[in-house]
Amino acid sequence: MNPKLAEFLAGCRDEAPLQLGVAPFAMLYGIGALAAGMPAWLAQLASAVVFAGAAQLVIVQMLAAGAGAMPVGLTAGLLNLRHLLYSASVAEYVRHLPRRWRLLLAYLLTDEAYAVAILRYRAEGERAAQAGQAETGPAPGATKANAANEANERSAVREADAGSGTGEAPGDLRHWYFLGCGCTLWLTWQLATAAGLLFGATIPAEWDIDFAVPLTFIALLTLLLRERAGQAAALFAALGALAFAALPYKLGLVAAVLLGLLAGRLVAERTGGRVTGAAADANPANAAGQEERAR
Amino acid sequence: MNPISLLALLAAVGVATFLFRYAMIGLFAGRELPPWLRALSSHIAPASFAALTASALFVHGGEVALMLDTPKPWAALIAALVAWHTRHVLTTIAAGMAALYLLKLLF
Repeated sequence: MNPKLAEFLAGCRDEAPLQLGVAPFAMLYGIGALAAGMPAWLAQLASAVVFAGAAQLVIVQMLAAGAGAMPVGLTAGLLNLRHLLYSASVAEYVRHLPRRWRLLLAYLLTDEAYAVAILRYRAEGERAAQAGQAETGPAPGATKANAANEANERSAVREADAGSGTGEAPGDLRHWYFLGCGCTLWLTWQLATAAGLLFGATIPAEWDIDFAVPLTFIALLTLLLRERAGQAAALFAALGALAFAALPYKLGLVAAVLLGLLAGRLVAERTGGRVTGAAADANPANAAGQEERAR
Repeated sequence: MNPISLLALLAAVGVATFLFRYAMIGLFAGRELPPWLRALSSHIAPASFAALTASALFVHGGEVALMLDTPKPWAALIAALVAWHTRHVLTTIAAGMAALYLLKLLF
């Protein structure tokens, strides 16, 4: 099989089980949109334009409660502020790609696609680090050499783009995996929105399909918890989510994540975590096994 | 709200969301992340999903409600244990839903 296609399909396959949580989310949004008096075409269009579950749900809930455009827009916008952090987190993995790829992957950077893609990037980075050729973590002194490398990489990508097809850096096709994750989620999101708009009202509330949403978060969180510092970050972020719940415009979520990052940083320093390299975050002993089982 | 102002609102949120998603990717295209940001970035995923999980389970309408007298937190706990043991997404979701349905018979 074409290796690009293989990566793409691997991304689709790993993203697929999460659709059990994504689909009910989109359906709830569709049901909520109709209840808030939103025209169906507009609700469907919003799924493509906004493409962010929590924000879309909060929009229709607030509209149903009679909120004005300003508070709705602010709340939904600030709720998505966390994507700025996701963007920072994947930046180092996609920086060698041409702009159209970066634009496309940015559009597809949702919670669940981000989590699956980052698991893949991390596992690969750890393997590379183990093999002594840490592609993601240059030593602080090596910045110049790295910059030169970087330039080579970029021109290689451009050549490949120009259609030569031979100058492409071999091995790193993980953006195709990322694309597979993103496309799978996108398709589910659009179809399940439509399903919610069309049939949502016929699903009995006793089925509790909405509970699948926190269950997917739990499944992903477990896969993401590896080393001590990350666990501390998660613990404090969870406590922060409760402590800051009352902040306006859903700012509590971002505040909670920032608190978690601070806690993670402090623990990493205590335990002698190095500043450079994604490998600082690695637990190579079981990371590869986790990755396999995640599939 | 009429459909036109709704459309404007949704477009504004969509544009803002895209800009958040692209901002750092665009800023650091072909450049090294500064070390402090790289150090923090490895914790972004666990912290975000912990916050999302906690607020999905325990925050309702901007208020904290643990609701330990209802089945959901306990079903979530069972799902977390299953997730920890199996590290398998599908099994976790199935176990959580099954636990919820069973616990609803008890509560």
